[in-house]
Amino acid sequence: MTSFQRVRGAAVAFAALMCVTAGVSIAPLRAQQEEPSKTLMPGKGAALTMAKCSICHDITHVTRSRLSRDEWEDNIKVMIARGMPAQPEEDRQILEYLATYYNRDKPPPAADPAAAAAGAAPAPERLLAERGCIACHALDKRVIGPSYREVAQKYRGDAAATTRLVAKVKEGGAGAWGQVPMPPHPQVPDAELKQLVGWILQQN
Amino acid sequence: MSHDETDQARRDFLVAGAGVVLAAGLPRAAWAADAPKPPADPPGTIPNKIVLAEKDPAMKPHSERPLTASVTAEYLGDDVTPTHRHFVRNNLLTPDFDEATHKVEIAGLVDKPMTLTVAELRSRFPAVTTQAMLECAGSGRTGYTPRPRGTPWPTTGGMSCSQWTGARLADVLRAAGVRADAVHVAFTGADFGALPTIPKVARSVPIAKAMEQHTLIAYGMNGGAIPKIHGHPMRVVVPSWAGSASIKWIGRIEVLPAPLKGPYMDASYRIPREPVEPGSKMPPDALMTEAWPVKSIITHPAPGAQVSRGKPMLIAGKAWAGEHDIARVELSFDEGRTWRNAQLNPAGDKYAWRTFSFAYTPARGGYTTVLARATDDAGNTQPLVAAWNPLGYFWNGWHRVGFTVTA
Repeated sequence: MTSFQRVRGAAVAFAALMCVTAGVSIAPLRAQQEEPSKTLMPGKGAALTMAKCSICHDITHVTRSRLSRDEWEDNIKVMIARGMPAQPEEDRQILEYLATYYNRDKPPPAADPAAAAAGAAPAPERLLAERGCIACHALDKRVIGPSYREVAQKYRGDAAATTRLVAKVKEGGAGAWGQVPMPPHPQVPDAELKQLVGWILQQN
Repeated sequence: MSHDETDQARRDFLVAGAGVVLAAGLPRAAWAADAPKPPADPPGTIPNKIVLAEKDPAMKPHSERPLTASVTAEYLGDDVTPTHRHFVRNNLLTPDFDEATHKVEIAGLVDKPMTLTVAELRSRFPAVTTQAMLECAGSGRTGYTPRPRGTPWPTTGGMSCSQWTGARLADVLRAAGVRADAVHVAFTGADFGALPTIPKVARSVPIAKAMEQHTLIAYGMNGGAIPKIHGHPMRVVVPSWAGSASIKWIGRIEVLPAPLKGPYMDASYRIPREPVEPGSKMPPDALMTEAWPVKSIITHPAPGAQVSRGKPMLIAGKAWAGEHDIARVELSFDEGRTWRNAQLNPAGDKYAWRTFSFAYTPARGGYTTVLARATDDAGNTQPLVAAWNPLGYFWNGWHRVGFTVTA
């Protein structure tokens, strides 16, 4: 064992000791160093919440919090004031999710595999949520960007649309639908992009 | 306490508390390893890894987006907080602005609206250097139970006292012909968020605070240019007020006939007029956060340090009091049953913290605690626990440090 390992071991033991002693103190002598989760608890509304909240901030701002329903409601109002793009119906879904799974006053419901399976979206919709597309786009309403239906109508009959839109999602775009440019999404694999764009173009 | 004594105290701490230094370093490594694939850094922004590479290894991020980070009290022993230990609190992304081209616009209730570069600020207005407290309104939030939402600042993280150089805002506003009906002055940052529709960070302060001679449009920090993360090339410094008033990357200063309206005024940075039951909602008639209340931290010894019985040691720390001066700092070695006055260093700049120290010789072995509480010149004393408020602002409960006395 190197001296570094010994010192490090002592440090860990010390930190553990401090956590125990902190329990009886007027204020923790050493803040507890728990790392908050980087994923949301699975449940109805989790994907939407992840997509909307992650536009501006780490999801740990949510996962480390346990608030009352009133506080979540107030917090969502603050986030809307700070520019969260969402429809009123989406605000309600996010509040319902947060007040159910991250509530100071009651524990989250036990995982229900049957309900999760029933509520699971089919592949393209699930991917749109996972890749954060739903942060700015919805099926039939304008959020920040155009709805999928508008996109499908605009490119109806355009044989080269898939290739062009795949490149546009990957590299980002500007001007086609207004002042707000679409940010680039280089992290999404081409095969997935083709699947997503193909699905979007069918929505007219 | 002189710099030398502070340095000696720190060296003692580094030897005695080597384990603690490592413990403080570990979470950062874990944070880096566990980081999910971050979104590509948008054009015109500085990645966190570049920002943090210039910071003390002891600086721990509390969130990556927006970036917030601080060290804890044992790293704040310097009289003037070094730049690499100054806390970080972004609301949006870290923009990469150029000193040669960045401008601040002076607008609103002024006879001569103007735009100024840093070079013009330097050539047209006297340069002022002052040491000033900056502290995030949520500094110490983790002291509150139940935990309010917001950045989980440690009880001793989120405050710094660096030296700032710039033009007095009052000089600039007078040159612009500030009108008599001015009530508030609004500051808007030029930084930006992930979408163009995200509102800018903007706060306003009463005209009296704007015209106070220590309120600056700063372009220098601790003798150098302001680093990118701290508002390069220029920012506002509103000493001792909730840090959100000290807008970084200042882009626009607007003189107004009333307080600014907007998300950073109406939805955040508010505090109930009277204390509320913990867990309550924000009352509709809440006040805007202004000056910090009296507060102190113990910077030496570090939590968990080992010291020797019978060997004289210095207990040291910092105290500050918003718009007031510090009258005294008291220490207790018996959990608040009895208190002893610490020695105060001479007062420096108006809004600089005061260093306090106390010569202590541990008479018995074992685990020992020290509590600090400061009192300002208006007779306000730090409470044991600060009054709970829905957004967790202005924590100023007693700081308590435990250490072990060995034979």
